[in-house]
Order: sequence, then C-alpha cells, then structure tokens
Amino acid sequence: MRESALAYAMLAPSLLIFGAFVFFPFVKNFSFPFYQQSTASGFGTFGKAAPPKWVGWQQWHEVFTSRTFWHSAWVTVQFVVLTVPLGIAFGLLLAVLAHQRLRGITIFRTIFSSTVASSAAVASTIFFSLIGTESGLWKLRIHGHALLDDKTWALPAIALVSVWQSLGLSFIVMSSGLQAIPDDLLEAARVDGASSVRRFRRVTLPLLSPTIFFAFVVGSISAFKTFAEIDLLSPIGKETGGTSLLAYQVKRLAFESESRNGQAAIFAVGLFAIVLLLTLIQMRLERRVHYGR
Amino acid sequence: MSAVAFEGVTKEFAGGVRAVDSLDLVIEDHEFLVLLGPSGCGKSTALRMIAGLDDPTAGVVRIGDRIVNDVDPKDRDVAMVFQSYALYPHMTVRKNIEFPLDARKLPHAERNTVVQHAAEVLGLAELLDRKPAQLSGGQRQRVALARAIVRRPSVFLMDEPLSNLDAKLRVQTRVELVALQRSLASTLIYVTHDQVEAMTMGHRIAIMRDGMLQQVGPPQEVYDRPANQFVAQFIGTPPMNTFHAVASARGLEVADGAFAMVDGWAREPQDVIGGIRPEHLHLESLAREAPDGGALVVATVSMVEALGHERHVHCRMQNDDSIIVRVAASDPYPTTGEAVALRADAEHVHVFSTETGQRVALA
Repeated sequence: MRESALAYAMLAPSLLIFGAFVFFPFVKNFSFPFYQQSTASGFGTFGKAAPPKWVGWQQWHEVFTSRTFWHSAWVTVQFVVLTVPLGIAFGLLLAVLAHQRLRGITIFRTIFSSTVASSAAVASTIFFSLIGTESGLWKLRIHGHALLDDKTWALPAIALVSVWQSLGLSFIVMSSGLQAIPDDLLEAARVDGASSVRRFRRVTLPLLSPTIFFAFVVGSISAFKTFAEIDLLSPIGKETGGTSLLAYQVKRLAFESESRNGQAAIFAVGLFAIVLLLTLIQMRLERRVHYGR
Repeated sequence: MSAVAFEGVTKEFAGGVRAVDSLDLVIEDHEFLVLLGPSGCGKSTALRMIAGLDDPTAGVVRIGDRIVNDVDPKDRDVAMVFQSYALYPHMTVRKNIEFPLDARKLPHAERNTVVQHAAEVLGLAELLDRKPAQLSGGQRQRVALARAIVRRPSVFLMDEPLSNLDAKLRVQTRVELVALQRSLASTLIYVTHDQVEAMTMGHRIAIMRDGMLQQVGPPQEVYDRPANQFVAQFIGTPPMNTFHAVASARGLEVADGAFAMVDGWAREPQDVIGGIRPEHLHLESLAREAPDGGALVVATVSMVEALGHERHVHCRMQNDDSIIVRVAASDPYPTTGEAVALRADAEHVHVFSTETGQRVALA
C-alpha cells in the first residue's frame, strides 16, 4: 500500500505535465468539432470569448464534404509518397556505401548522418536561400518564376527538402540495420557462389526488411505531420492549396481564420486517425517481418 | 585433384596482429585434416584464407594446381560450414540448401533432385519447409552440412561445426561426419579447439599456436611423440605431466628419486623438462622396490578425483611440481595426504628442452 502510494507520488509530476499538455488537449480536441466558436473567440484571440454554440455533427459534415479537406488529404498523401520511399532509398544507398571497410569511412559516416543535427526550420532556411526566389543561389526558374512559387513543382521541391532533412536519420537507421546482419551470413553467401548483387537482393535486403518497414512507418507518420517546411517554404502554394498539407490546414483554420477551430479540430482528428491506423498496421505486421534466429 | 597447400603464408591484420605466421602445410587430396589449437592460434584465419574470406599478407595458397590468392570465393570450388551455421533465417530449409545451386543457376528439376537427396542423407526430408528458427541446434547443423554437400565441392571447410551442440549430439555427429567425409571422398579441413574431435576424426592433426604450426602428423603419432611441450600438454586429458628434472645416467632425477628412461642419458647431466602422461605412471608402495628394478619418485597425494571409469590421483613431488596419475577404477588407490612412490613406464618418458620447449631426442 505504502509502496504504491510512493509510486503514484513519484509519477505525479509527469502525470501532471502530461495531463495538462497532452491528455487534456487530446480529449478536449474531440469536443471542439461539436461546437461553433463565435467570432473572435478562436485559439489565436485573447479577447473575452462568447460561449461556443452546440452544432452537433454539422461541422463534421461540412468538413468531410468539403473540397478543402479531401484536396488537403490528397496533397498530404502525395507528399508522403514523394518523401518516404525516396528517404528510405537514399538512406539505404548511403548506408550501403558507408558499410564498406575503407580507410577514412568514418568521415563519410559523419557527413552522411549530419543532417540529423538540423531541424526542419534550418533545412528550410538553407533551401530557401537556394531555391526560394528567382535570384536564389541556384537561380532555378520554372514557367518564369521561382520553383517554390510554381503550383506543380512547389510540392516536389519541398518534398526534396524534407528528404534531405530526414536523410541523416534514415542513414543511421539503415546503418544500424545493416550492422545487425551477421557477417557470417554474407560470407556464407559469398562462398556459396552468390555475386554481390545477388547477396544484396537475396540476403541483405530480406534481412533488412524489419528495418525498412520500421523506417517506412515512422517516416510516413512523420511525413503526414509535416508542417514547418510548408509554413516556411511555401508562401504561395500553401494558400492556393498546392502544398497545403493536413497539419498546415489545422494551423491555418485554427489561427488564421475566424471561428473555424471546430473545423481545425476535425482536420486534427483526421490526421490522428491516419497516424493511428499506420501505428496499428505496424504493430500488426511487425512480427511478420521479423525472423527468429 | 584437390590438395590444398599453404606456402609461407602469413596473415597480418590491421594494427600488426599476426594471426598466421609463415605457415607451410600441405593437405592431401581426400584427406581429413584437423587444424587444432587454442583460441586465437590462427586456425580459423587459415581456414578463411582457403575459403577466400581473408587474403594472405604474404605467401601462396593453392587449391589443386591453382594459386588462389586472388580468386573469388565463389570460384574456388570450396564449401564451408560455419560455427554459427550461418543459415539464412528468412529462407526455408529447402531454400537454404538450394541457395548454392541457385547461385550457380542449376536447372530446376536437377536442383530439386539434389536437394531431396541431400535432405534424405542428412535426415532432413521432413523439415524442408521449416525456417531455421523452428529447428533444434542439431537440425540446423545438418542443414548447414546439407548446404555444403549439395555442391559437391572439391574441398570442405568446417569451422568448429560441433561446438554449439550438446555433448551427446556432438559424439554422434562426430561419427557421422567421419562417415560423410569417407562417402564424399573430398578433402576436408576441420577447425577445432577440441582435442577429442581432433584425435578421433582426422587422418592428420595440425596443431597451431600463436599463428605458428607446431606439429603435423597422424593423431597417434602426435600423441605419442609430441614435438614440444605445448603439443604435449594440449593433447590428452588430463594433459601430460611436465616437471623440472635433471637428465642423467639414472634417468630423470627429481628432488626425491628418479624416473627411469629406456636408454638412460648418455650425455652430461642437464636441466630439462620431463614429461610423462598420467596413464604411464604407476603407484607403488613406499616399502617396495620398483618391480622391474627401475627408479621410483616419492610424492604426497594431494587429491583423488573419481571419474567413474577411472581415478585421477593428484600428487605433489618434493620439488613442489604436481603430477597426476591415472588409476583404473577397479585398482586400489591411496588417500589424500598419503606418501606414495611413483614409477614411470621407461619407454614413455619424454624430455623437452628448458630453453625452447622442443622435444629432445633420447637416442
């Protein structure tokens, strides 16, 4: 009895912080969609708020029949499809290169993993100076204007920034996966007559599949939640919808328009549902891609 | 023709660690050679150089008539069984066994026949659709063997393949491996640190220490005439007794007595290391003369170990060297603290140099 009381006492500070800043907002978010906030009572306002009005399922209906939501969801899926496989492929390529036993390879390993130390904001700032404007360092123009201002190319360009920023982490994850493959399996394959391509295809890649699967799920979750790159790099695209990802829409609806935080909460719930689904898939499939040894 | 030869082979790793030092060794075609030695003696490195997994720093490795220093492992016509078995965990037993054939693009029908045959030879026919994780240690070891034999290589390399098996299974597999080598009629090079495996399996044993070859020869010869003190003590359980002595006309003199030698010591008396295997020592009553009129050494019993089929009587001689005597379980034995007289079979007394540890020829 005393022991459990002590345990709760020690847990209390964490519970308090998590409760106030995670659990309470999380639960509260599910109630917002059922209320309409009156003008000037949104999250971004500090004036005296009028009491919110119960509107039931009306806002859910509005959001799920709106073009904005489905377009945003579609753009988000495009972004995920662009970033996740590319991030994994580049991370794997660099990890395979860095796995060679060569003199000075640790220098390359350090370089390859270095982007892990940069934030989305830093990556965005760097790339903005390169491609942000027509007079950016790379002087890239498409259809007569800067890459990030182009309706078609803004999303792939931001996706590339995101891939670059997450490359360090992807490299580290893939490297650890490669290092976990016992050397004697690859040596056995060498003696068994397999060429380097065959060894990679038949031994390395299958044994790396749990790592790739993990990177795929975590990368997808992270890509679905992308916000900073869009907010910083896409001054026009995000308004016209070309780069308007779900997470960005949550912020825009809640803070930039009047009395639409109920809708913002529905976007957040939608995002949560997608992430939850991915997590469940991971938990379900995780065992299938692991090999007992 | 699948003899294997090391000609002045040295392997040095980064940091100057010399794993194999000027190794000269020829393994004959169809021979079962055991590379024996303690951990870190270079035996596995030597094996890996035959497989092509490590490159020699100096010297030449030959397989048949070919120098293979720069030949890729897949082109050496060797198969290797690893200590860990190195089974591909994501493949079924069938796919594991098939892998070397698959890599060589053997026609599908032929592949099936070969796999099925290997599986039957090794008692794996029922397990072909299982994954390695679903197999016992012994079954995994058989899969590794099957994977090696399907290719019918000219040279088999085995790196401590029995070390992960329990004692009973090890004895059984030992016998099966010897039979398998005979039926395959291939050259087999087998690495182990287990001297029982070495004694029972190989046509010849090559004993290594610190990267250097100590002795190579048939097991009984190595046992009976060890080239140096290291080999003498490495082979045999319990190991050969070694002790400080003076070789003289009386035999091997120790503090309180002497062990007889067949032809005596014709040279000037000299400090040496004496060596006698426990089974070549006999306990005599202190009151009696040695039955053959030979010399005796007085010692005190410090411990008696009963092993069921025999006893090991640990004695301490007066010069403080300890010595073990093997006594049959049915024979009388002394008790701890008792003083005894030790007699050696004169024809089985070994003499090693105190400086080099090398065997000193007595005749």
